[in-house]
Amino acid sequence: MDPRFTCTMRSQSVLGLTFKIVSLGIIDSIGIWGAVSLAFQSSYTLLTLLILGVGTLNVVILSKRAYPLRYLLPGLVFLAAMVVYPLLNTFYVSFTNLQTGNLLSKDTVLHLLDERYYLPEDSSVFDYSAFSDDADALALALTASDGKVWIYETEELREADRSDPALTFDDAGTVQGIEGYEIVEGIDRYQILSRLEALAIPRGDQYLRLSGINEFKAYRKQYTYLAETDQLLDRQTGLLYAPIDGKFTAEDGTQIEPGYQIWIGGENYSRVFGNAAIRRDFVRVFVWTILWSLFSVLFSFSLGLGLALLLNDRALRFRFFYRTLLLVPYVMPVFISALVWRGMFDVNFGIINRSFSDWFGITVPWLTHPTWAKATLVFINVWLSFPYMMLISLGALQSIPNQLYEAARVDGAGMWKRFHRITLPLLMISLAPLLIGSFAFAFNNFTLIWLVTSGRPAVFGAATPAGATDILISWTYRIAFQGGVGNQLGLASAISVLIFFMVGTISAIGFRLTRQLEEVYK
Amino acid sequence: MRRMFALAVFLLVAAIGIGAMAQVTITIYADDTRTPLLRQVGADYTDATGVLIEVIEFPNSELRSQYITATQAQEGPDIVVGANDWVGELVANGLIEAMDIGARSGDFSSAALQAFSIGEALYALPYAVENIALIYDKDVVPVPPRTWDELLAIARSLYDPDTPMYGLVFENTSANFYQFFPMLSAAGGYIFGFDEDGEYDPCDVGVGNEGAIFGANLYKSMIDEGLIPIGVNGDTEQALIEGRNAAMFITGPWRLVNFQNADINYGITRIPAITGPDGAYNIPKVFAGYQGFFLSSFSENKTIAVDFLLNYIATPATMTALEEIGNRPTVFLPAVPSSPADLLAFGDQGAFSVPMPSIPEMASVWQEGGNAIDLINAGTAPSEAFGQAQQLILSAVGCP
Repeated sequence: MDPRFTCTMRSQSVLGLTFKIVSLGIIDSIGIWGAVSLAFQSSYTLLTLLILGVGTLNVVILSKRAYPLRYLLPGLVFLAAMVVYPLLNTFYVSFTNLQTGNLLSKDTVLHLLDERYYLPEDSSVFDYSAFSDDADALALALTASDGKVWIYETEELREADRSDPALTFDDAGTVQGIEGYEIVEGIDRYQILSRLEALAIPRGDQYLRLSGINEFKAYRKQYTYLAETDQLLDRQTGLLYAPIDGKFTAEDGTQIEPGYQIWIGGENYSRVFGNAAIRRDFVRVFVWTILWSLFSVLFSFSLGLGLALLLNDRALRFRFFYRTLLLVPYVMPVFISALVWRGMFDVNFGIINRSFSDWFGITVPWLTHPTWAKATLVFINVWLSFPYMMLISLGALQSIPNQLYEAARVDGAGMWKRFHRITLPLLMISLAPLLIGSFAFAFNNFTLIWLVTSGRPAVFGAATPAGATDILISWTYRIAFQGGVGNQLGLASAISVLIFFMVGTISAIGFRLTRQLEEVYK
Repeated sequence: MRRMFALAVFLLVAAIGIGAMAQVTITIYADDTRTPLLRQVGADYTDATGVLIEVIEFPNSELRSQYITATQAQEGPDIVVGANDWVGELVANGLIEAMDIGARSGDFSSAALQAFSIGEALYALPYAVENIALIYDKDVVPVPPRTWDELLAIARSLYDPDTPMYGLVFENTSANFYQFFPMLSAAGGYIFGFDEDGEYDPCDVGVGNEGAIFGANLYKSMIDEGLIPIGVNGDTEQALIEGRNAAMFITGPWRLVNFQNADINYGITRIPAITGPDGAYNIPKVFAGYQGFFLSSFSENKTIAVDFLLNYIATPATMTALEEIGNRPTVFLPAVPSSPADLLAFGDQGAFSVPMPSIPEMASVWQEGGNAIDLINAGTAPSEAFGQAQQLILSAVGCP
């Protein structure tokens, strides 16, 4: 091995080694801390993902064979966490009935219902004194209204015996002290209230529970879960509830809130395809989404390319100045420019309509008429995207060798022939993937649609919240969060999955086509 | 070396964690207006009991969704400040807990308690009520109209599209079914009817009935004449108020600050009565929105939270302070109202109000009602627009 090469490697590696150890150490300690917190909170999915992520990182950095992967690794980790995981989760949710009223898991709901108690009519009320020992274990002395005293110690309830030497009574008959414990009084009681609240001391078929700051009452559990038949018995009313469609329902139709999430298979999908009205909405929104993406890309590309061709001419003076000015729409944050455009296009008070009515005496229903609203949106999107198209065209134009133009001029080709025989095909090779990317971006451009029109104006006869300018993604959002009975996340996930397949197919077809374009160069 | 470093970090973090766990803490989610006051009251509670009160501030629009997300992940607060129309969704998702306030219920107006209850269970401690009313410029309209015909006469005389100057303005985009409701309710429209138990019956929808369509037709005739500008949203309304471009507004206490900014000599009164198709003289009803403190069902300190609410929030001093900073009349009966003029004036219309229904099916009402307004603004006939809205609400809710 060339000695100079080895020397460089070694001197680099001391600094590199230190850097590796320190950063790996920091990441590992954060990983351990995170893993411990997650374990405490029983979030096992996230815990597994964290361990996998940090473990892979360690393996790649420390193992010689996997070392080349280190450049790909951050990208892969984020890809897995932010793309693959939500994707799989959405797939899963689309097969469930996740919506308002069915958000929790069955275990959580059963747990919640198990914690529901009711006060029977003959309930007894207890005053109490709390005691704690050095190990922070609690003991209670409960005095019933009939004078009987109960002691709760080491998780057992026993009736207090006056002759018990461990107990000290005062004149009124209340317990003042328990041996080995100190009384908890005054403000200190507030510190233990949450532990008292969590207690449910069984006494016969009743449970003694904290009711207010100063009392215990005897409650009964409201529900009994019959595991064999998977039913709930309401002990207060005697009704039997069976699990139907994610909610416990009695024979007379009353349901227990909350319900829980269940697997419903392809029901969400059959709702989308089966219901004729939803299908109609779907088709209408789909067609508009395709047209919207097509027109946005087409017009912005034409404008961008035209400007790029103009700016490419070396004879034009102040080229740099024009280019900078034309970049402004792209550089401004979309949130600001979209809202400003919406204000300007306002039908009654926007500056455009005010100027029109001053100069021409007409007002145009920019955002309230379905077709005008669509045109306005395309216009705003073209305004926002043409600088990007101009930049990439400028870049791609540089890659076309001048000799081709010279040769064409010698052959007598005019400007238009030169453009569409040489410039356009060669541009397409490099730009087609970017155009497909822009198409996919416009297909899912929720921000602009939402800020300017929120999908409105409304369409007469729509079965779902689908307005005239709704694209698939904003329609999904409205179904998810502004739907009939609150959030309908299962249905929205199903539609999202369908959108994913559609965009994926269109992109795949597009990439296939661009591969054919490469023939042109040869 | 690396292992010892990691161990040291772990021990340090664990120590901090255990230290933090030692102090009992009640967490409250509130909006920016109420947070400072709640922190103050919380400090008093900490002095008295040693329990820390932590108030986390959120913008108003995010409060509800942040609460739902956090509570579902079991990271939520113990108490959240919210409105009565949250009750349906939160109960359906098991995110709030009923509270038993015992004899203290006598301290609150029964309408407020009703608005936060489902059946016998009370789900929040109410503290304020708000409703929209007619706010007018006394310099332009010295005597407010008492009937809709008077209002139309004023609007026609004032209408000038060039300045522009309008007689009446209220928010009428698709997000403003809340402001549009008085037009529907005057002649008999309603949202949900009641069943025999006194609960909302989601299958009895009155958004498209005769009275509602009569009111919507009245609205349409006004926009055809140009007397009311269409597509007015919150920002536009604020601009119109501060630009003095209209004589009368149907809006709520949240806009008073704009009137004050423009130094307008404003008056508040009830919305003029609309003569119905049968000749009856009906004062339009508006939505009454109640605000209260909810208790999370996942809280581990429910007893302390309820104690804090009943003994430190439900006191005349705190309730009056809440009224002052929030500009909303209190529903706590022992409190002495502190800004009588404006707030009592909203009560003129408040006497003709219905609580916002809190069942989850209300989501489709906001959606479809808003769409109907949009359609009418664009030219569809009101009978079709609201007729369709009624059908869509019924089918979205799953009624026969």
